[in-house]
Amino acid sequence: MTLYDVLRDRASSAPDRPLVVTPELTLTYARASARAEAFARGLSARGIRRFACVVADAAELLPLLCASSAVGSEASVFPRDLDDAIIDDYLAWFEQPVVVADRPLEVTRAQMLALEDLAIETGPIERFGNGSPTLILTTGTTGKPRGVRHDWERLLGGTRTADDQAGARWLLAYNLNQFAGTQILLHVIKNGATLVAPKSNQPPDAVVALREHGVTHVSGTPTFWRFVTALIDPSTSRSLPLRQITLGGEAVPAAVLESLTKLFPNAKISQVYAGNEFGSVGSVRDHRSGLPVSVLSRGEDADVQVRIVDGELQVRSRFGMLGYYGEPDVGDGWLGTGDLVRVEDDRIVFIGRATETINVGGVKVHPLPVEEIAGKVPGVDLVRAYGRPSPVTGQIVALEVVLRAGADRDDVERAIRAACESLLPAARPRLIRFVERIETRGDKIARPRAQ
Amino acid sequence: MPEVEQTVVEAIQKILRRKQIEASVVPESEIAGLGLESLDVAELSAILEDDLGRDPYSAGVLPRTVGEIFEWYRT
Repeated sequence: MTLYDVLRDRASSAPDRPLVVTPELTLTYARASARAEAFARGLSARGIRRFACVVADAAELLPLLCASSAVGSEASVFPRDLDDAIIDDYLAWFEQPVVVADRPLEVTRAQMLALEDLAIETGPIERFGNGSPTLILTTGTTGKPRGVRHDWERLLGGTRTADDQAGARWLLAYNLNQFAGTQILLHVIKNGATLVAPKSNQPPDAVVALREHGVTHVSGTPTFWRFVTALIDPSTSRSLPLRQITLGGEAVPAAVLESLTKLFPNAKISQVYAGNEFGSVGSVRDHRSGLPVSVLSRGEDADVQVRIVDGELQVRSRFGMLGYYGEPDVGDGWLGTGDLVRVEDDRIVFIGRATETINVGGVKVHPLPVEEIAGKVPGVDLVRAYGRPSPVTGQIVALEVVLRAGADRDDVERAIRAACESLLPAARPRLIRFVERIETRGDKIARPRAQ
Repeated sequence: MPEVEQTVVEAIQKILRRKQIEASVVPESEIAGLGLESLDVAELSAILEDDLGRDPYSAGVLPRTVGEIFEWYRT
C-alpha cells in the first residue's frame, strides 16, 4: 500500500477525524484525502515525476506527499526557511524540474507551481511506475545536503502500529523535511492519529500547541526537550494530557530524563535510535543511556539487524534507504551509522560521532562522555565539548557551558574540573568557557566536524 | 609589570594552581621547570591566543622561559 492508499483507507473509516490541526484550521481525514486526490490528478496530468516542495503549511504538505506516493512521483521537501537563492542551489543539486510552493519564489532552475495550479478536481490518476519514491535531504553541518532516496512503502513497512493511538494527538516538533518529521507523519497516518502542527517548531510555539490542542504524544530531540521543560511551569505540567514522550536524534543526558520524569510523571518516556539512511532501529523505555546488547543478537531473518565493527554501530534494515541521490542502490546491505559505541555490561553505549572525535596528541577523545560528566555538575544547564585546534597537541578538549540561573561561575568551573579528573588527562577539558547559549542546528546541538 | 606580561603570568599561575604547584613565575622561570607539561602548554597557548589575540606557539615559536614569552610579545 502507498501512503495515499493508507490515507484513503483511514478517511473511509473515520472521515471526520482530524488529520492535521494547525493554529488556523483543522483538516479532517476526508478533506485531506480529497485534497491528495486533487494533487495526484495534477501530478499525473502534468507528468511530474520528480518535484521539490517549498510548503510550510502541514495541512497542504501532508496531502501533497500522499499524492506523490499515489502516482509514484518523487517528492522532496525543502527546509522551509531557505531563501530563494539557496532554493535555486538545491534545485540544481538535485536536478528538480518542478518546485511546488505556497509562496512566490524567485527561482530560475525549475518551473514553479502554486498549490492551486496543481490541484485538479477531475481527471484520471495514473502511476508513473511501480515504486513510490521520496527524497529526504540530510540536515548536514556542511552547506550541501545529501539526498537520501526512500520508498514510501518501505518506510510504511517499518512504521509500527500501536494500540494506544485512538485519539492520539502527535505534536509536530520536527520539520517535515527531516527524516524524524517524516517518521511522525507516517506514524500518524498509519495509526489514524492526529498531527498537531504548531506555528513553528520552536519550543515556545510547541508549548502553546501542547496547552491549546490536547497533545498526547511528542517526539523531539533532547535539545528540544531541554528548552521545553524550561518553559513549562511545574505546577501546571500535570494538567497536560501528555501520555508519551519520545527522545531521539542525539545523546540523551540524564538531566533531561530527570526533568521530564518530574514534570510528567504519568507519561511514558522512550528513547529511539533512528537515522535517515537506516530508519528506526528500536526504542527503549528503561531511562538508561544507549541500547540493550540484545539488539546484537537479532537473527538473520530480523527486519533490522545491528552489529559493531571497529567500534562503529552498523545497521542492516529492510526499511532503510534505497541509496543516495545520484548513486546506485545500496540494497539491503550493512550501513555504517557513524556512531561510535562500546559495550558496557548489558548496554551498547554511544561515545560520539566518528567525525567528532577529538585528537589530543594522538589520543582519541569522544565528546559525549565528557559532556555526560560535566552535564551532571550542579549549576550546569547545557554543555558542549569540542576539539579546539592547538599548535602543541593538535587539539585540546574545550567546553562551552551554559550556567543555570543563580549558579556561581567559579564554583561550577572548579566542580567540572574535579568531576573530569576521572577521565584520562587528554580527555579532561582544558578550556571552559561560559556562554549565554549553545548553537543548535536542526534541533540538535551544533557539532562542527573535528578540525 | 606591563599588562601583557601580567596576563602571561596570570595564565601560567592559573594552570599551576590547578596542578597544585607552588612556584614563583618570573622571567627566568623555565616553562618545563615550572612543571608545565605538553597539555598545560597547549592550554597556555589557547588562553594567550584568546586573551592577547596571538600567541608564540601558534606562530611556531617554542619559548624556553617565561621571559622569552614576554620578549615575543614585545616584537
